[in-house]
Amino acid sequence: MRRLTFPVCLLVTGVLGYCILIGPFTSYMRNKPIEEKLGFVPSIKLIKPLSADQQELAGAALVMKVLMYYGGTLGKAQAGKIVSESIDLMGMSRMLHGAVKLDPYNMDAYYFAQGFLTWDAKQFKVANNLLEYGMQYRTWDWYLPFFAGFNYAYFLKDYSNAARYYQKAGLLSNNNLHIQLAGRYMQESGQTDLAISYLAAMEQNEKNAVLKEGYRIRLAAFREVRRIEQARDRFKELKGMMPRSLEQLIQSGLLSPVPVDPYGGRFYLESSGKVVSTSKFAFATQHK
Amino acid sequence: MFAIDIQGLSKSYKTKRHLTVNALKELTLSVEQGEVFGFLGPNGAGKSTTIKCLLGLIRPTSGTATIMGDSVTGDNYRRKVGYLPENPAFYDYLGAEEYLLFVGRIFKMQEELLARRTVDCLKLLELWDARKRPLRSYSKGMVQRLGLAQVLLHDPDVYILDEPMSGLDPIGRALVKDIILDLKRRGKCVFFSTHITDDVEKVCDRVAIINRGMLQVVDKVDNILQQGIEGYDVRTTAANGQVEELFIEKNALQSFIQQSINNQTSIERIEPRRKNIEAFFLDVVAQQ
Amino acid sequence: MDIIRITLKGIFRDRVFQGIMALGVLFLFIPSAASLSMRQVTELSITLSLSLISFILLLLAVFLGATSLWKDMERRYMVSVISLPISRSSYLLGRFFGLALFLILTSTVLGVVAGVMIKLASGIYPSDRPIIWSWYVLAIVFATLKYILLIAVAMLLSTVSTSFFLPIFGTICVFLASGITQQVYEYVHSPISAQTVSPFLKTVSSLVYYILPNLAGFDLKVNAIYSIPPNPAGLVLTGAYFIVYTVALLGGSALLFNRREIG
Ligand SMILES: Nc1ncnc2c1ncn2[C@@H]1O[C@H](COP(=O)(O)OP(=O)(O)O)[C@@H](O)[C@H]1O
Ligand SMILES: [Mg+2]
Repeated sequence: MRRLTFPVCLLVTGVLGYCILIGPFTSYMRNKPIEEKLGFVPSIKLIKPLSADQQELAGAALVMKVLMYYGGTLGKAQAGKIVSESIDLMGMSRMLHGAVKLDPYNMDAYYFAQGFLTWDAKQFKVANNLLEYGMQYRTWDWYLPFFAGFNYAYFLKDYSNAARYYQKAGLLSNNNLHIQLAGRYMQESGQTDLAISYLAAMEQNEKNAVLKEGYRIRLAAFREVRRIEQARDRFKELKGMMPRSLEQLIQSGLLSPVPVDPYGGRFYLESSGKVVSTSKFAFATQHK
Repeated sequence: MFAIDIQGLSKSYKTKRHLTVNALKELTLSVEQGEVFGFLGPNGAGKSTTIKCLLGLIRPTSGTATIMGDSVTGDNYRRKVGYLPENPAFYDYLGAEEYLLFVGRIFKMQEELLARRTVDCLKLLELWDARKRPLRSYSKGMVQRLGLAQVLLHDPDVYILDEPMSGLDPIGRALVKDIILDLKRRGKCVFFSTHITDDVEKVCDRVAIINRGMLQVVDKVDNILQQGIEGYDVRTTAANGQVEELFIEKNALQSFIQQSINNQTSIERIEPRRKNIEAFFLDVVAQQ
Repeated sequence: MDIIRITLKGIFRDRVFQGIMALGVLFLFIPSAASLSMRQVTELSITLSLSLISFILLLLAVFLGATSLWKDMERRYMVSVISLPISRSSYLLGRFFGLALFLILTSTVLGVVAGVMIKLASGIYPSDRPIIWSWYVLAIVFATLKYILLIAVAMLLSTVSTSFFLPIFGTICVFLASGITQQVYEYVHSPISAQTVSPFLKTVSSLVYYILPNLAGFDLKVNAIYSIPPNPAGLVLTGAYFIVYTVALLGGSALLFNRREIG
């Protein structure tokens, strides 16, 4: 059995070395800068011919990659760690744009892009352009105009365009709610309700756990905001003046329990009475 | 020290369908140094199995073997062995000369000696003209001869040849017999398997007969031939000058000679008429 | 080592190298292909070069790695070689190093050719980021290491298999999986997935993560393309990872190969 000594030695050395190294290596890989981790997508012009007859697959792979990446960072953020690296939203956006070029029907790409391009990246125009692009292909999909309508109404305050898209969504879905939505919440005061109804619908329909979780957190935040707003309005009714601070609201007994920002921030009232949070409703990352 | 010493060697193969083939059962056999030993058996008797165990190509199920005192579980004993596989195949992109140089380097032969031996062996086995051609252009017989050249190259003390004559034309066979006889003259041990009895009769000192994995007979070729005498062809000239050819039974010879003397018949010639090894072999195999 | 020499001879006589060089003609089109991109000619030409080199190395690693032992078995060369006085371990290592050497040779030649093309491309359309050649070289070096590791994977699979299907498809699967294990691992271990991913799946994916090679770390394309400085400590770790993983693979292969019956 002497001839087995050498291979056994090799194997043992390798495995031992591996055991020693895998810890540091894993942590190195985890903390790699994002651009490197998300990887670099050459150019869609290039991928397109290279993926030959598998463009749908290539597109789906890109979306999957972004999703895994997003899920990972979101998870870290939620665990309370301040994420040392910024989430590469632009990189994610680039990839999703690439994905829909490969497969313009890829539903996930649109839904996902809508999710982070608006709330996180604040790239409303980019989001709407992407949705417009998708509408040319997914002509049956009422979600795309629904998203676009919401973006116009909530973020861009462009109510005429919003109404147009809600109308379209309503026609496609045979659901009057969307048409009503257009009219009902078109004032500044209805913004929180608009967001809540949008988020609730999204959360309910979302199948992907990561994204669902994202919606759930944001929905929770907005429900807290609404609670504060309601308390604020009661205060105004009762005392005839705006509360000076959140603390005053809480002391008055109108707001209990104490609101908690799921993003880990602290709520406060702006001088106009608007409810905001130190977290700006995003996990503590340093956006570029 | 025996050149080859096999003690209680057994080998069972497991086939795909969970059957076991007992290819070799408790084989015990010793071959002296300087001896030419024929290993005779019908197809599927277990000859190649024995030889593969000797070269460490397969692991015996039980039993041990040594070659020149070294256990066959190591690697170094093979330096003292020249092995010709059954139906050998060599890297077909090499030429005969290149292949011999490769083999010689693995045997760590000195370059100068190697160059000389390569030329000798190629010439001896009539491969000189084809030495540069890639082996894929060789005929079966040529490959077999290269196998023999490769065995002779490093001038080992023990030769293990698995069916060395197969695939050779009568000239080639005669050449191989000459080579074996030459090795015998130089005091080398040659252990070769075959199912052709004629080969054994011409060159071997001893022979073993194996059938269905079991050793049947080990004996000196001379003894077998001796025992195989059935009677004698006798030519006599009577006193009147009449010539007669007679066949005399083995045990009647003595009395025949006595009688001849009495009759004043002169015996011109007595030739033993014997069963050859072939008949002996057939008997042994049929008995089982 | 004679086995290394014989391996290289075999590859060259099988005209593999000529085949690669024929594929290498593609490199000549890189500058013109890259000029399709309006702003990123240099970047695109580096991308194309590195991707093409990777692709060729991948093909070589999979096919040479998976077929070299299988071919020896199938054509019965193995019997005549293994019965010579070399240990099976050194035969296996000889094969491995022969293939690895060939891979290094190929990536060197292709790297130089591609480098010239990139130089040409960047000369015609200067880039706003300087090309850092040492990082370009580094990217190629690590790509080569990655595929050498893949050869070891293919060899390990060949030692247990009698056909070439398992080695070839197994290696391809390992390659595909190895690019994403890191992401899957991080995803599965993020608290967000705690509710949705069952503990069983979590254990399985951790196990897979620790067993399969993690080749994502060997990808330095971004660094080369956008001249982003790589992390030296990380590179050292990756290099060490390559060594221990390959050593373990070779040890395992040698062990299995020693136990294998050759007849
Ligand atoms: N790899 C194997 N698997 C199963 N059975 C085998 C294997 N090799 C040989 N055998 C069987 O073992 C027996 C002996 O074979 P072998 O030693 O090759 O015979 P021969 O004397 O003709 O050289 C035969 O019955 C053969 O079918
Ligand atoms: Mg045989």
